[in-house]
Amino acid sequence: MRNKYRFTAVLLLAIAVCAYLLTGIYVKSEKTDTDGQFLVVTSFYPMYIAALNVAGDCENIRLENLSEPQTGCLHDFQMTPEDMKLLSTADVFVVNGGGMESFLTDVAKQYPNLLIVESMTGEHAEEEHVHEEEHAAEEEHVHEEAHAAEEEHVHEEEHAAEEEHVHEEAHVHADGSVHTHSHENTHVWMSVAHHREQIAAITHGLCEAIPAYAEEFEANAAEYDAKLADLQKQQEELVSLSTGKEIIAFHEAYEYLAEDYGMEIAYTMNLDEERQISAGEVADVLAAVKEHGIDLIFAEELYGRGLAETVQKEADVTVCYLDTLVRGEYEADSYIKGMQKNIDIVKSALGMEAP
Amino acid sequence: MVLEGFTAFLEYGFMRNAFLAILIITPLFGMLGTMIVSRKMAFFSDALGHSALTGIAIGVILGVTDTNVTMIVFGIAFALLLNYIGSKSGISTDTIISVFSSCSVAIGLVILSKGGNFSKYSSLLVGDILSITPKEIFYLLLIFVVSVLFYVLCFNYLHAASIHRTLAISRHVPVRLMENIFAVMIAVIVMLSIKWVGILIINALLILPAASSRNLAENMREYHFFSVLFSLFSGLVGLFVSYYTNVATGPVIVIIASILYFATYLYARVLRGE
Repeated sequence: MRNKYRFTAVLLLAIAVCAYLLTGIYVKSEKTDTDGQFLVVTSFYPMYIAALNVAGDCENIRLENLSEPQTGCLHDFQMTPEDMKLLSTADVFVVNGGGMESFLTDVAKQYPNLLIVESMTGEHAEEEHVHEEEHAAEEEHVHEEAHAAEEEHVHEEEHAAEEEHVHEEAHVHADGSVHTHSHENTHVWMSVAHHREQIAAITHGLCEAIPAYAEEFEANAAEYDAKLADLQKQQEELVSLSTGKEIIAFHEAYEYLAEDYGMEIAYTMNLDEERQISAGEVADVLAAVKEHGIDLIFAEELYGRGLAETVQKEADVTVCYLDTLVRGEYEADSYIKGMQKNIDIVKSALGMEAP
Repeated sequence: MVLEGFTAFLEYGFMRNAFLAILIITPLFGMLGTMIVSRKMAFFSDALGHSALTGIAIGVILGVTDTNVTMIVFGIAFALLLNYIGSKSGISTDTIISVFSSCSVAIGLVILSKGGNFSKYSSLLVGDILSITPKEIFYLLLIFVVSVLFYVLCFNYLHAASIHRTLAISRHVPVRLMENIFAVMIAVIVMLSIKWVGILIINALLILPAASSRNLAENMREYHFFSVLFSLFSGLVGLFVSYYTNVATGPVIVIIASILYFATYLYARVLRGE
């Protein structure tokens, strides 16, 4: 009888002490010096890479991504207590926006003082402002110079309508007037053109939040933007081959990629982490392949390969396994590298020699 | 330093909510768990947890904003139905429960996964501690008071029914009523805590503390004391550990409860072996 209580007391104490010490060790190994630093938290991988390029090398700025490094898309992301803690000490929270971060309303409610920078344009009046101020000149420039010959050419041909749409969008941005297309699809970073806008929005947001570093941010952003512009140029070289081509995408993220190439999406199947494909959907894909005479499919290696191989058995199609750029190395040039690889894959699929 | 470590997380509103919820719910789990274990209802409470999916699905279909309501209503209906059919049918109870449980999970999954959207609800499976709101804490407090009152007043009846049902009926114990009230109470508690504990492991919280306690206890008083103690202890340590190590809270609580179970099991064996 006595023994039993003693045993219980010892047991509980032992577990409590073990738990305390182990967590203590864990916390210590995680700890970094944070005195006097600005903390910028990003919601997920593409935002982290973007912010890293804008603010990564500034001395007193600490950049953190929400805890889970391998989340992928945020559809099923759950914030952990650690994330909430991180946000409670953050100065700025950089998000994709447009509904990608479903937990954002909770965060805003919990921390009303936290400055949230939404990088997806067309959602915020503030961001329209960005375009007007900083990128107006540049956007015009790109479109007029790089596209000039080609676009004109296209306009005269049968794809006028579609190109005009894209073109118009860009102009709306450049004019700084209200831009109203509402995206259900929030994977904007997949389009280099859109990603450049995201970088601009992030830069603008960070400059406002931490004015002391505004110059550095802008210099960094300009440097990074030049690299992105180079990617965009490579894409544009392909546009003449790819414009109007109908494809099937196995992830809605590729709709933006296809937009860059002027391709048309005949059918989108949103495959990701949690998705189960039903037999009827496979049949739908095959029907779409036949109906539209599709010979190119964009798919994700991890989740799309099974279905893509099935489709390949049934029909003569080329499958491009493209990176959705939502996970990878935490390096500043990850986005550039990943996108470059995507471009090379598309290039060879279109029958051009990859460099 | 020690104290600081224990109180630091209370600075955050969501952690205070979680802390309060655990203070209220784990003793309740410990207390009711004893009765669940002695009545051999472990499978029953597991089925109830699974039926939460259907409750939410029904809420989604009806367009109710607070799916708690549909969850609780469905849970109560489900529990009463299980009790009713279990007492009528000749088939053994575990078969009945299994049929209902799988059927309800399937219905829930079909509705919630429509259009490939199940990922939205996947937090239900492992639980999300951030989902605790002050309103839910109020509900928990309410059910806590009601349960404790019921338990204190009706424990003897319940206990009699669990030891020998027929004998209890012959002694004019309202067995059917007691069983139904008890089932409803479990349903409500399970539904209210499922969002932060998670469907996959909620049953462990009900069963493990009581099971560990059974390894040690020699009488009813000890049985309840150890069960409540273990439950509260694993809840608090689990919350503390999960907060600092950045993992989901429910599973950590269950792991600690499991450690307690194995330790007490070994202890009991050694003791008996002597």
